[in-house]
Formats: sequence, C-alpha cells, structure tokens
Amino acid sequence: MDFLSNLQLGFSVAFTPFNVLMAVVGVMVGMLIGALPGIGPPSGVAMLLPLTFGMDPTSGIIMLAALYAGSMYGGTITAVLINTPGESASVVTCLDGYQMALQGRAGPALGIAAIGSFIAGTVGVVLLMLVSPLLARWALSFGPPETFALMLLGLTTVTLLTGEDALKGYISMVLGLMLAMVGFDIISGQARYGLGIAEMMDGIDFLPVAIGLFGLGEVLAGAEQTGKTEIAKGRYGLRDVLPSAADWARTRWSIVRGTVMGFAVGVLPGAGPTVASFLAYTVEKRVSKTPERFGKGAIEGVAAPEAANNAAATAAMVPMLTLGIPGSATTAIMLGGLMMWGLRPGPLLFEKNPQFVWGLIASQYIANVLLLILSTAFIPLFVRALRVPYSILMPLIIMFCITGAYSLKNSLWDVGQMLIFGVLGYFMKKLGYSPAALVLALVLGPLAERALRQSLIISDSGIGIFFMRPISGVLMALALAAVAVPVARALLNRKSGSDPERQNQ
Amino acid sequence: MRNADRVSAVLLLAGALGFSAVALQSWPYTSPEGPGPAFLPFWLGLGMACLAAMMLTRSLREKNAGEAWWPRGVALRHVLVVLGVTVAFAALIKVLGMILATALFLVVLVRYLGRHSWLLVLSVAAGAAGFDYLVFAYWLRVPFPLGPLGF
Repeated sequence: MDFLSNLQLGFSVAFTPFNVLMAVVGVMVGMLIGALPGIGPPSGVAMLLPLTFGMDPTSGIIMLAALYAGSMYGGTITAVLINTPGESASVVTCLDGYQMALQGRAGPALGIAAIGSFIAGTVGVVLLMLVSPLLARWALSFGPPETFALMLLGLTTVTLLTGEDALKGYISMVLGLMLAMVGFDIISGQARYGLGIAEMMDGIDFLPVAIGLFGLGEVLAGAEQTGKTEIAKGRYGLRDVLPSAADWARTRWSIVRGTVMGFAVGVLPGAGPTVASFLAYTVEKRVSKTPERFGKGAIEGVAAPEAANNAAATAAMVPMLTLGIPGSATTAIMLGGLMMWGLRPGPLLFEKNPQFVWGLIASQYIANVLLLILSTAFIPLFVRALRVPYSILMPLIIMFCITGAYSLKNSLWDVGQMLIFGVLGYFMKKLGYSPAALVLALVLGPLAERALRQSLIISDSGIGIFFMRPISGVLMALALAAVAVPVARALLNRKSGSDPERQNQ
Repeated sequence: MRNADRVSAVLLLAGALGFSAVALQSWPYTSPEGPGPAFLPFWLGLGMACLAAMMLTRSLREKNAGEAWWPRGVALRHVLVVLGVTVAFAALIKVLGMILATALFLVVLVRYLGRHSWLLVLSVAAGAAGFDYLVFAYWLRVPFPLGPLGF
C-alpha cells in the first residue's frame, strides 16, 4: 500500500525547520486567539491569512491548520477560568468546566481537556489519513450535479446548525450568495452589480468580509461590555494540571466517545466542532450513571466535548481537502486561502499536490504534540494573557483587522470593505443572524453557480438532472430535508399554540 | 428585537426585489449555452424576498416586543467611539502613513477605553506599531502608505 510512502512524504515536508516553526507559531497564536474572548478561530485565520501569501502554500496551511487546532484548546482556558467561551465550540465546556474551577479544580479541568484534545486530535489525524484518499478517489467520479448538490447540502446544514434562528440563518446564507454574484460572471464574462466601480468588478473578496464580520464585528459587540472579567483562582503548575487516577478512570471512555462522535460530525459538510461539542455533551450526560452531577462540575462534561471539538476540527479538513467543501466558517476561509494560493481544492488535490496534502496531514501530528506540551506546561502564560485588559486588547485586534485587510492587495478599498462588513457583523450578531453562513455562502457562491449552470447545460431535463443521478439525488434530498425541518418545526409549533420564535431560540 | 426584525425585513424585501429586477434588466436570463448571467441572481433575489416576507409576517404576528438589543448609555458611547476612531484611523492612513496612523489610533483608543497612564498608553502604541511595521512592512514587504515623515 502506498499509504506509508505518503506518510513518509508528508513527514519529510512537515519536519523541515521552517514548517515546524510555522506549526509552533500556529499553535501558540491559535491558543491565544482561542483564549481571548472576542476573537475566535475564523477571525484568527482570516487575519493571519495575509501573512501566508509570501510563503510556500504548504507552510501557510500548516500554520493555519495548527492555529485552528490550537484555538480549539485555547477556548477551553477561557471557558473554565472566566465562564466565557473563547470560541463557540467551548460553549458547553463552560457548564462543568467553570463549576470545577469554582471548586478549585480548574487545573484538572484544563488538564483533562488537553489530554482529551490530544488523543482526539491524534486519532482524528489517523482517520483523516485513512478516509480522505478513499473519499477523494470516490469523488473523482463526481460531475457538476453532484458537486452542486454537495455544496447545497453544506450550505443548508451549516445554516441549520450554526444559528439560533433558522430563518435568519437562511437569510444570512442567501445574502452571502447574493454578494457572491457581484463581479464578472465566470461563464459569460459579463460584469454584474459592479456599480461602475473598478474594484467591484473583481467581485467581493471574502477575506475583508470575514475579517470585518468576525474580527471588527465581534470587537464592536464586545465594546458594549464595560465590566471587568473575573478569573477563577487556582494553581496551574504542571503537577496541578495532571488529572488524578480517579479522574482518568472516569473520563477514559468519555474521551473515546467524544473522539468518535466529533470525527463523525466533523466530516459532514456544514457541521463543525461546535455542533460536535454539544452532541458529545448530551450523549455523555445520557450514558452517565450519575447524570445529576452534570452542570455541577462533572469532569466527563469537560473531557467529552473537548475531545469532540478537536476531533471535529481535524475531520473538517476531510470535506475541505477531498471535496472542496468546507465544514465550518474557519475551513471556508482556509478554502478561500487555498484558492488564493492557486490550488484547486477537490479530489484532484491529492494527485496533483501530494506534498501539500500529506505535508498538512503529517504536520497535524506535530501540532497535536505541540498542543499537548504547550497546554499542560504553559497554562500560567495563557492565564496571564487573559489578564490583559480589554481596553488594550480591543484596539490591538482592530489594528490587526486593518493591517490584515490592507495587506491582502495593498489596497485601502479592502480596508473600507472590511469596515462596512464590520458594522454589518455587529448588527448581525446583535440581531441573531449568522455571519458564518454568510461567509460560507460567499466562498461557495461562485463555485456553486458554476456547478449549477454547467449541470443545467449538460442536462436535457432541466433541474431533473439533480434528482435523477443517484448520488446527487440523495444529496439533494438531504439538503431539502435540512430546509424542511425548521419549516415543519415552526408549523407544528404554531399548531400546538406555542410561540415559534421562542422554540427556535 | 421585534421592531428591528420588521425594519430589516422590509429593507431586505425591497433590496431583494431590486436585486432581481436589476438582474433581469441588465443581463440575459438565458444564453445559447444554457442559463445566462441573470439566471441565478434573479432566483436568489426572489428567494431572499420570500425569506424576508416570512420574517415580516412573523414579526408582525409577534405581540411581544422582545428584549431591547440596542445599547444605551456608556455601552452605546463605547461602540460609537470605537467605530468612529476606527473609521478616522482608516481615513488617516493615506495622510499620515500606516505606522503613524496606527500609533495615533492606539494612543487615542487605549487611553479612552482604559484611562491607563500615559506611559503605558505610549508604550503599547509604540510597541504595537513597531511590531506591525516589523512583521508587515519589513518581513512581508507590504508596501504600507508612507507618511510625511517617511514611514
């Protein structure tokens, strides 16, 4: 089997000093970004993407993927210590993690999360390595109808799963698709919605949009909070962090369950780490013999979702690399990065750029080891970073948003665009819309339009082509189900006389 | 939230219909090879119009005004100041150059938000602007707009 030679190739790429350095930088910055409330992995990846343009794409993706893995753990530190999720995949970790911190057990909570993340991440990479080539080979048979159906499925599921209000989620998604229409039409070459502005003719670049929505938008929303944050007191030396034998016995199987579930959920296009962590927590509570301990500092309630979100973050690479369809806002931005580096994500990536794919996969092993070391030995350092007041942090984040947006194409136009989407992001966040769905739609929009129109060109039965081919038929049915579920739920609620909006919240 | 939903639904509805109308007027809906450049924009606009109409009816039926979402008092002032200073920063980049504008922005905003000592404010501004210069202008060779002082 050529499996080992692929891995060998990957390690030979990943183990160059520069790429190891990039993994270290990625994990460190990721942990910091994850830990700081107000910026999460999507804005982190969006802000650092311009840094990678001067690099070899492989080094670039190694840094970004390490950042993604690091941020999953960084969010935990904030969740446990100040009861605020550093990023959305750590929301459930607050429930038991903060309770543990109040009981003086912040150390073991962070420790078990680190170990769980390490196990899940490593198992995740092994699965990534096994599943991706098979999926890529299978996807080679995909024509435009299958590609379109798969994208539609990704868009509808992300919309269904990320937002609280399904209707607003769909509005965000369609808005993203509408923005994707701006610029030259790929098939006819006509300029659409350019408003006579030269910069608009090239289309709306997703990066200033992502930096605005996730970076500046979050900062503006955070500017409303005027109070000070309280950090739970505790000792975070290496000895305090290592879980006891009893903790370990209690969480062994939680970590295994979290890993398996996290990977399974993460592989689905559209469902990312956040969904995985919620699911893992629910399952853990259900299989527990003592469910009443949950919410009061049960260590399984920290271990399982933390394992799940790391496994899912790794698994989210599978649809991105093999199908060119991102599973989350963060991977959507990475996908955009791939295209900017001139790589075409999709099944051919494995054949045409093996050193890129296998280098990335091998670097994930390195990133996980680094993560384990950093997250057990350097917790005090990150605790100190949390003490940096928001009044200093916020202006620095804005500075990175502006320089990041500028350095994409050395243009102030992008800075202006970032500012506009920053304001939009603020309103979207306040009013319950889904910026993640918008960004995903903006990235996928042009690809989906091409697939849609190519399908209709080759079809002699109109849109029937999507339903008559077996694979695309199944995918379309799933996508339509994702649309139908919230509608049906709203109708049922109305019949039973309860308020549909409440139910959706 | 209810009133905000009503307003945004009406705006989205109008925008969506306009989007579809512009598409049909400006570009062909079909082409010899199949669907034309107006095809998808037209349907997207229509889809958005349906979603907006659904939100409008939902918000019109809602009796409960919902929680206030708009910040007031200090919170509102903070948001507006942060936004205002940021926009001013972006506008000054061309005039002062990236590094000087960044430093000035940091001085103003860090001092306003935190009331920290001038020493801390100035060292944060100088340190961060220097870091910015080192990473982007020096290491990545991004041609930052230069100011009157030559950086």
